[in-house]
Amino acid sequence: MFSRLSDLFTVVGPGLVTSFADNDAGGVATYSAAGAALGYQLLWVLLLSTFALIVVQEITVRIAVTTGKGLSDLIRESFGLRMTLLAMGVLFIANLGTTISNFAGIAASMELFSIPKIVSVPTCAFAIWLMVTRGSYRIVEKVLLSIALILVAYVGAGILSEPNWVEAWSGLFIPTISFTREHLFFAIAIVGTTITPWMQFYLHSSIVEKGVHRRFLGTLRWELVIGAFLTNIIAFFIIVACAATLHTQGVVITTAQEAAKALEPLAGEFAESLFGIGLLGASILGVFAVPLSTAYALSEAFGMENGVNKKVREAPFFYGLYFFILFVSVIFVLIPYIPLIPIMIFIEWMQGVLLPFVLFFMLRLANDQRLMGSARNSFWANVVGGGTGVALAVLSLLLVVGVAFGIFSF
Amino acid sequence: MIVFSEVFLSELVGLPVVDRDDKRIGIVRDVLAQFGDQYPRVTGVVVKRPKDLPLGVVVIGDIDVIGRRMVLTRNPAEHIAIASLRQNDVLMARDIMDKQIVDVDGARVVRVNDVKLARMEGEVRVIAADVGILGMLRRLKLLPVVRVVADFFRIPIPDRQIGWNYVELLEDETKRAAISIPHSRIGELHPSDVAHIMSQLASEKRQEIFAALPDRTAAESLHELEPKIQAYLLTTISSKKALALLDRMPVDEIADVLGDIPFDRSEELLRLMKPRKVAAVRKLLQHSDESAGGLMTTDCIKFPEMMTADQAIQKLRELAPSTETIYYLYVVDEEERLRGILSLRNLIISAPDTLIRDIMKKHLITVTADVSQRKVADVISKYNLLAIPVVDAENRIQGIITVDDVMDYILPPISRRKREMLG
Repeated sequence: MFSRLSDLFTVVGPGLVTSFADNDAGGVATYSAAGAALGYQLLWVLLLSTFALIVVQEITVRIAVTTGKGLSDLIRESFGLRMTLLAMGVLFIANLGTTISNFAGIAASMELFSIPKIVSVPTCAFAIWLMVTRGSYRIVEKVLLSIALILVAYVGAGILSEPNWVEAWSGLFIPTISFTREHLFFAIAIVGTTITPWMQFYLHSSIVEKGVHRRFLGTLRWELVIGAFLTNIIAFFIIVACAATLHTQGVVITTAQEAAKALEPLAGEFAESLFGIGLLGASILGVFAVPLSTAYALSEAFGMENGVNKKVREAPFFYGLYFFILFVSVIFVLIPYIPLIPIMIFIEWMQGVLLPFVLFFMLRLANDQRLMGSARNSFWANVVGGGTGVALAVLSLLLVVGVAFGIFSF
Repeated sequence: MIVFSEVFLSELVGLPVVDRDDKRIGIVRDVLAQFGDQYPRVTGVVVKRPKDLPLGVVVIGDIDVIGRRMVLTRNPAEHIAIASLRQNDVLMARDIMDKQIVDVDGARVVRVNDVKLARMEGEVRVIAADVGILGMLRRLKLLPVVRVVADFFRIPIPDRQIGWNYVELLEDETKRAAISIPHSRIGELHPSDVAHIMSQLASEKRQEIFAALPDRTAAESLHELEPKIQAYLLTTISSKKALALLDRMPVDEIADVLGDIPFDRSEELLRLMKPRKVAAVRKLLQHSDESAGGLMTTDCIKFPEMMTADQAIQKLRELAPSTETIYYLYVVDEEERLRGILSLRNLIISAPDTLIRDIMKKHLITVTADVSQRKVADVISKYNLLAIPVVDAENRIQGIITVDDVMDYILPPISRRKREMLG
């Protein structure tokens, strides 16, 4: 037991950190909005995505420890330049979206404290640029992670809000879907925010970077399972809290004030502050990790110099890309009167639509005999991984068709 | 003799292969290369044939012209023997393109976007790896479009090619054919460059290169790597190899490195090391990494006050080969208390029978073992020192800290805290 425990401490980190970063700004917004709009109906999607999340991350981790190479390196070496361009294009769009979403989170949460976004967003962007280029960000990451843990408050809020447990359990275990725009949209968005493209790259690189040895694969798997359940229990309670408070009052979430109301059973008049701080922590965490991991992934794929220890002149592509993502996101969020919360949810939906592409590459790699040897994907990992991709693709298609032919009412 | 000047592999792939009667044999899929020479020799063209025929190889001797539009064979199709691919063949597009290589000249790791073939002394050879943006665009067939735009705005498209004589392969594709001595040229690079290259690679590749390095280079580059990588390498190589490396490192670096690896492993290595160094290393290991004690080496030259300059020079000749720093000599009394510092320069220019206590500098700048690294760096840079002695409360000398140990604090961080971030 003791050796088991010390094992855990040598490898612990990547899985848990990634899991907790999963409930980022877009995640909180999406779960809240889904609970408010549809009550307990889509909880089963969350349950299924929890298992899919474990399987997908396990594939990521297994590829990482087996090959010891970065995900974009592997894509470039196995699929050639053209496919790499496609994969990186998808990753770039998804991650630009996530960054916008997280800046929107910063803007929305600071507005709860009456700080206008024209002040909060550029200030945060500048501070982040400084910290990242100065290289002192690992410590900050831990601080932010603990701030984001404020979201655990939703567990209390969910219980205190006296939800209809019968409905909640049946929503969780009995899959029901009606083919309305709202249902399809939120189903995709929930999967999209639970399993994001950037997380796979981030998790992969933190394991490669740590140089975790193959024999720790078992420990890493434990970490993933624990991480996935812990974060999605919080997600569960976010949906439940919103279903019990906002849904019953017929509130559709469009602002942070409305989303914060779900915490009132626990925090009363401090609900807004609590929500604001939690959202802010989660958002800044995302803004730290996502643009940087994008810049690394793309410069590695195209063989450009990279790394925050380099000077800007030595690694122009790396820094250029990083700056571009920050800049575009800031400008986008600063557009006057742009509806922040709906934008965040829309972006999570987009993550869901783009995820099948990333899954395609991961599954191809995980099944490559030359690369993986005996650690090749099992039949069931392929079924779950592939099934997630196909399910998302079908849902997306249904949604597009439905909207295009005017089957759904808005 | 083949008619051909030069071509990029990406341009060659996809061209039709046609026999002398204009009959089409197939299209170019790849080229076969034989490694071993400085510039690998192209020995055949891999052809994708119509219908269900497997990939075939047209050997270079059968080819008459490699042109911009097509590849032309010497004889009619019926007379050409088409070979099949073998297990050990190295194909340039499949095995080399998109892979990482080391640019030995620039001492960095790059990715191959394209490969340039040219005629050299009547043979077709691989002469350069294209690692620039231009090559990437050419491969994507986007070059004409981008060029129009770039020319319009007068922006040059970055072009970067590395002559194959400066290319060191990292993948083991060529080893399969057992013809190249891997990583030999990397071993000739400066240890700092080797460290830089290793920090950019996957951990297994690092291990492989590290194992192939000469002991001397390995020992010197080890300390330049970030602690995590040092620890990984030291725990994965054999104890014998580890000891050989430690033997070539100064004690302060040994203590640094051993401080970062698991306790069991460092104890194991300490038990096996030469006893002479072990005591010093153990003493250093007690100090925190962040303090002067953690930075210092006990390896310094101490002389008694009553020595003459001549005696000191004699003694120095004996000690110098195994000592890291000889530019400052420390003059101590019977109880090892520091009395003065003598520069090598002053020692040499003095008359042979002068007592060293008459030529030593008595104004001492010292630090204690518990001050911070930052502070040590400040003192060293303020007084422009090459080294500074570390003393205890009774002014007994414990060791010295040399300027290279605090370089990271004086200049912006370069190698040490490398890539603390994502991937």
